[in-house]
Amino acid sequence: MTAPSHRLRFLAGLVLAGGLAAWLAHGFASDARRRVAADGEVRRAVVALRAVTSLVESSGGEGDGARRAVVAWQAGAPGVVQLRVARGMQLEASSAAGDAGGQAAPRRLAREEKPLYDRAQRIATAVRTNREEQGGRKDEVEVERLPSGGLSLAAPLDLDGAPVGIVELETAPLPPAPSTPWWPFLLAVLVPAAAFGLVMLLAGQRRAVLAVAATFLLAASLFVLSRGTVARIGEERRQAAASVAERVREQASLVRSASVSLGLPASAADPAGWDVDPFRRPRGEVASDGSVVETRREAAVEEEVRHLGRSLLAAALLALALLLLIGLGAFHRLGRTIKVNRQAYVYIAPALLGMMVLVFYPFTYGITLSFTDSNIYNTQKPLADLWVGLRNYGDILGDFAFAKKVEGGFVFNYLNFYWTLLFNVFWTVTNVTIGVTSGLLLALVLNTRALALRPVYRVLLILPWAMPNYITALIWKGMFHQQFGIINQLFQMVGLQAVNWFDHPFTSFLAALTTNAWLSFPFMMVVSLGALQSIPADLYEAARVDGASRWQAFRAITLPSLRPALVPAVILSVVWTFNMFNIIYLVTAGDPGGSTEILITQAYKFAFERYRYGYAAAYSVVIFGILLVYGVFQNRYSKATEA
Amino acid sequence: MARSRRDQELPHAPLHVFLGLATLVTVYPVLWVVSIAFSGRQTLAIADVPSDPTFLQRLRAVVPWPQQWSTANFTSVMTDQPFGRWVLNSVVVAIFTTLLGIFLSCTAAYAFSRFKFPGRRAGMMSFLISQMFPGVLTLIPLYIIMVQVLGLGNSRLGMIIVYAATSIPFSVWMLKGYFDTIPKELEEAAIIEGASAGTIFWRIVLPLAKPAVAITALFSFMTSWNEFILAATFMDKEDMYTAPVGLRFFVGGFSQQWGYFAAGSIIVSIPVVVLFLYLQKYLVSGLTAGSVKG
Repeated sequence: MTAPSHRLRFLAGLVLAGGLAAWLAHGFASDARRRVAADGEVRRAVVALRAVTSLVESSGGEGDGARRAVVAWQAGAPGVVQLRVARGMQLEASSAAGDAGGQAAPRRLAREEKPLYDRAQRIATAVRTNREEQGGRKDEVEVERLPSGGLSLAAPLDLDGAPVGIVELETAPLPPAPSTPWWPFLLAVLVPAAAFGLVMLLAGQRRAVLAVAATFLLAASLFVLSRGTVARIGEERRQAAASVAERVREQASLVRSASVSLGLPASAADPAGWDVDPFRRPRGEVASDGSVVETRREAAVEEEVRHLGRSLLAAALLALALLLLIGLGAFHRLGRTIKVNRQAYVYIAPALLGMMVLVFYPFTYGITLSFTDSNIYNTQKPLADLWVGLRNYGDILGDFAFAKKVEGGFVFNYLNFYWTLLFNVFWTVTNVTIGVTSGLLLALVLNTRALALRPVYRVLLILPWAMPNYITALIWKGMFHQQFGIINQLFQMVGLQAVNWFDHPFTSFLAALTTNAWLSFPFMMVVSLGALQSIPADLYEAARVDGASRWQAFRAITLPSLRPALVPAVILSVVWTFNMFNIIYLVTAGDPGGSTEILITQAYKFAFERYRYGYAAAYSVVIFGILLVYGVFQNRYSKATEA
Repeated sequence: MARSRRDQELPHAPLHVFLGLATLVTVYPVLWVVSIAFSGRQTLAIADVPSDPTFLQRLRAVVPWPQQWSTANFTSVMTDQPFGRWVLNSVVVAIFTTLLGIFLSCTAAYAFSRFKFPGRRAGMMSFLISQMFPGVLTLIPLYIIMVQVLGLGNSRLGMIIVYAATSIPFSVWMLKGYFDTIPKELEEAAIIEGASAGTIFWRIVLPLAKPAVAITALFSFMTSWNEFILAATFMDKEDMYTAPVGLRFFVGGFSQQWGYFAAGSIIVSIPVVVLFLYLQKYLVSGLTAGSVKG
């Protein structure tokens, strides 16, 4: 088998990796340019909309005044197709083509204009919600793309600080999105490839030299390419800011002249407040006089550049890794390994594929999710936009507010991670202790020689393990029912009070504990019984001959013989109990107030009841970490005891 | 002489008392379900207790014996309620999960057992570690992949794929252990006779491994038959519920149809309880052997 030339391999790697990087970079760059252009157009349209809104507001927001204001404004605003002002069921003003003659405003909204009415309601609700929550969650300024290619925007019409209607504006079709030429990206591949051709001639087959040269050439070319691309995006972002500022100046003078000609009081509205985000918060990039606020603009440019730069860096790193993999022969070797062991890989492939897609990929995705603020409101957005770093972990592990102060005392904060962890540990320890003690005790008794009915007892005592545990949980939940439950009937039979089991953390815990003890002791019993039966009878015989007491024999023979079977069983049962989702979820459901939640049910509730996916993922990663630490310690411990 | 005999063996009577009590506590919940199921009523109580009950009346209410026997709960849970359909869903899902899971695991376990290839150790270890992933962590992405991307929410196929994939690691470890015990000489002889790898696997190894395959298959069946969380998350349309989700539907939230629940529980439990009692000795040895090795 002849080794293929190092030179050719590096050249192929350079072209392939460079091609991949160039293709990705082109994609990122054209996305960024399209976004910057579209954002600019939207902002310009929003400025126009807000300007006319302020004009309508200063005209009193209704009647002929408002209609005259709309007409005067639109005469000076090219690129606006139509403008409508609606208040409640009433169309106050409209410049739409169909709304002339008998259809002219003012009039009631027609049935087919329900979308306009709905939009007004939606926006009014959004304004109120945002105000109550003191933040921005629902869009107050709505922007939609029309099939024609224009935009349809709507913003609330405020009178005396309360939303009374909306102003809706439709623009002419927007200019087409800028297309990004391919040639710089092609050059970024061809130039280093050509340069590498020269190096090949000089360096011969020396692998190290080739590797360094290829890496350097590709890195340099990608560096130059991304510098250029990023600079271009920055420039376009600045242009967008300038054009928004220009639109603000235009609109300011238009509003001023319209106010004068209509005899309205000079509008109090500040043009700087026309350039707003969807929550009507000024972006602050344009000053009142229509000039660009450089510091704010540069911050925005910086943000845009960093975003694109990060994507480009990732593409470059990927390409360099690919280059080295191909160049150093990893792919070649991989191919050969696969060929040699083809049979083995064919046998494993289906299972591995299934595991990859449904076990390992979700796991990795879950870990990624834990670094984001993903929740039900933003599942559409890419994860990179929701990145919050370690914030979720900080929130979980750094929250030490165990109790909240209320009137006349304290209330435990059961949502606190450490409370849940503490409860989880307590839950595990009590359960395993009870399980081991009762299982061992029963096994010892069952192991009595010549005991009648032994197989019957054994089968009946295993029954709880055989039952599906969700059924067990629901049965016990029924038996702990306050009014009709059997447990309370028994209590009353012996003269005790009926207990409302799920009203107090401790009784609720007892209910779950009972359930879990019932279903978990058979496992320990079976394991212990197996171990007991494997102890040779001669040992006891010998002990008796030596005059050992029953207790001594137990200590010296029984316990040590049980150990190899019991230690793994306890380890296993600790993990099972720690994650015993069904019992907690179905028996106590965390009642009262989340006090009997264990970590895994808490994580589930964060995900599927509070819909905080990112936070829940971080929570689960913490659980995984705890189990991992436990696993490592347990491994050390069992190794140490074996030695 | 008599003294030394007593030293050797405890008297049996107190042991029987102790075991009898333990058995009573153990069996009581089962008897309770049976009496609710055969009571023909939907209430939690076995017997009605008047507002000012005597001791005997209270005692009557805790004795697991229905006031009158009736199979009404069984007939109406299968006819008036969609429970039959839920059981059918469970049966379909469990059977196909077992078939798919066992096929995938057998081939993989065979490769792990017989071939030496790069990635073998890493593969086995990764299967083992995957057992430690907390379910909730993978549940969210699985939900996104299966329901939002592949559109397999409320579908048996989706459940089958997910269950089969999650059952692979356990099955692979069980089967690999058994394949290791099959002597290699058999295969070598077959190779000399000119058998292909496929023939060896299908015609020689699998038939020899039949007992292990059967047991692994039964465990795989029981696991998917009893699974609750994934099914509850993926199946939110009522006619696509599996039996566990359906049973919880009877008594979850504000629903209090305990009679249906009890009857349904018995129908669902009987096959797995029987299977389990038959299989438990394999489970114990498998579990403890696995964890000692790991």
